[in-house]
Amino acid sequence: MKNTYIYTIALLFISFATYAGGPWPQSKGVGYFKLSEWWTSFDQHFTDEGLLDPNSTTGIYNTAFYGEYGITNRFTVIANANVFSRNLVNNQVSGTNGNVIVAGESYNGLGDIDLGFKYGLTSIGSKFPIAITATFGLPTGATNKGELGNLATGDGEFNQMLQVDAGTGFKLGSLNAYASVYAGVNNRTNGFSEEARFGGEIGVGLLDSKLWLASKFNVVESFKNGETAESNTSTSIFANNTEYSSIALEANYYVTNRVGVSANVAGAFRGEIIAAAPSFSFGIFYDMSK
Amino acid sequence: MKYILHFIAVMSVAIIFTSCVGDDIVVDRVAEDLRITNAIDTIGFGSVYKFETRYLDNVGERQEVEVEWMSSDPSVISITDSGLAEGVESGSVIITAAYQGVDDYLQDQIEVVVGDNTTEVDIEEIIKEGTIVTTSSYQLEGDFIVKEIEGNLVVEVASNYKASTSLPGLFVYLSNNPNSIGGAFEVSAVSTFNGEHTYTIPDVGIDDYKYLLYFCKPFNIKVGDGSY
Repeated sequence: MKNTYIYTIALLFISFATYAGGPWPQSKGVGYFKLSEWWTSFDQHFTDEGLLDPNSTTGIYNTAFYGEYGITNRFTVIANANVFSRNLVNNQVSGTNGNVIVAGESYNGLGDIDLGFKYGLTSIGSKFPIAITATFGLPTGATNKGELGNLATGDGEFNQMLQVDAGTGFKLGSLNAYASVYAGVNNRTNGFSEEARFGGEIGVGLLDSKLWLASKFNVVESFKNGETAESNTSTSIFANNTEYSSIALEANYYVTNRVGVSANVAGAFRGEIIAAAPSFSFGIFYDMSK
Repeated sequence: MKYILHFIAVMSVAIIFTSCVGDDIVVDRVAEDLRITNAIDTIGFGSVYKFETRYLDNVGERQEVEVEWMSSDPSVISITDSGLAEGVESGSVIITAAYQGVDDYLQDQIEVVVGDNTTEVDIEEIIKEGTIVTTSSYQLEGDFIVKEIEGNLVVEVASNYKASTSLPGLFVYLSNNPNSIGGAFEVSAVSTFNGEHTYTIPDVGIDDYKYLLYFCKPFNIKVGDGSY
């Protein structure tokens, strides 16, 4: 994990946690594809004590392609690729004489790519479907970029996450609605601590199910079994043991039968070594299931 | 396809206008400081001695300036505009260096006696003490002493020192501004997070800096400091 900044990486994981939910695999030959822009900019963070401390303003901007495709009625492949990622840090400027104390920087490049495989454990049409998903986080992004080495578009580690989802669809009056929960374990390499992840999602369809509103809740708890600044004797600059609890609100609107736009806002309300600012996402999707 | 093109166009414009490197303003104003850096106790009768000063501006950065020199009794010790003093007759005087700074009129004074021989202050007898305190939510605490040995600055951090291991990129600096690493001297990355340890810094004098500053490089945040 040496010379890796997971501070920014933790933000990428918040982005990750806002998709791939639910125990519903795609039907065979059916797909869901989405092109989106995700970003956050923050000038404070949660410390290791869970308190808020300031930091230099840092921004992360990801252009992502997300896709699900049903290989069979129970088996779906999933990809989430940050095809373009921009990470920047502001200049630190003296308020007294206007001189630049520490020059800001930016780095653009390919971000990390996640590949997932979802398998439905229950029969098609089950009232309470359950699915398992294996996700592999490929370290295709860059680390240690910039003069200070504090810019990154990826975490530099290959992680594997196993997740179980369960849920159900139901009626809320005359409205279609759904709810799901998940729990998973994320095995991380390169000195990063393993993580437990769990959360839930509830959504409701409005306007004849052309508009779907969803609320998501995600929790990451670190096993705190990885390296720390003390155990890593290099001059590395890294953190570990990131944790957070976040909520997200999402709206998906079908402009046509299959094409729609989505908007998402998410943020951690509790955390350790993670940004204390909301993230935003806008996207356009193509849903073949409609 | 037209939806995708519209989306890309709108998002591209939005990102261009929101993803530029901006400026964070650092509140870094400090009191200016003028100090006579090579004080002596005694100047020899008929001897000359060149005094020197160090001026720190309102962000704690060293600037070369022309100071005004004064002797409280020029008949005992005379001093020129360049700080060259001469012991004229027996007695004791106050030597003053003065400079009109940006915010304040600054003075530093020392008492000098005219005697048989010029006696410089033994810098190696000076030991300064300080306490590291956190200025953030990260744990950082401990006592330390600073002394100069053979032209090197030695910082001895005591056994009660503790620092959080959670923060990446913790570095130690010597600074004259507790809020900024502008003009600071980077000592080293922190590799000891508990207990006593020592930093030996070549070619740094005991009066060159006033603060031990702990700074997280990747986040550009101050974690703690200790004045000495």
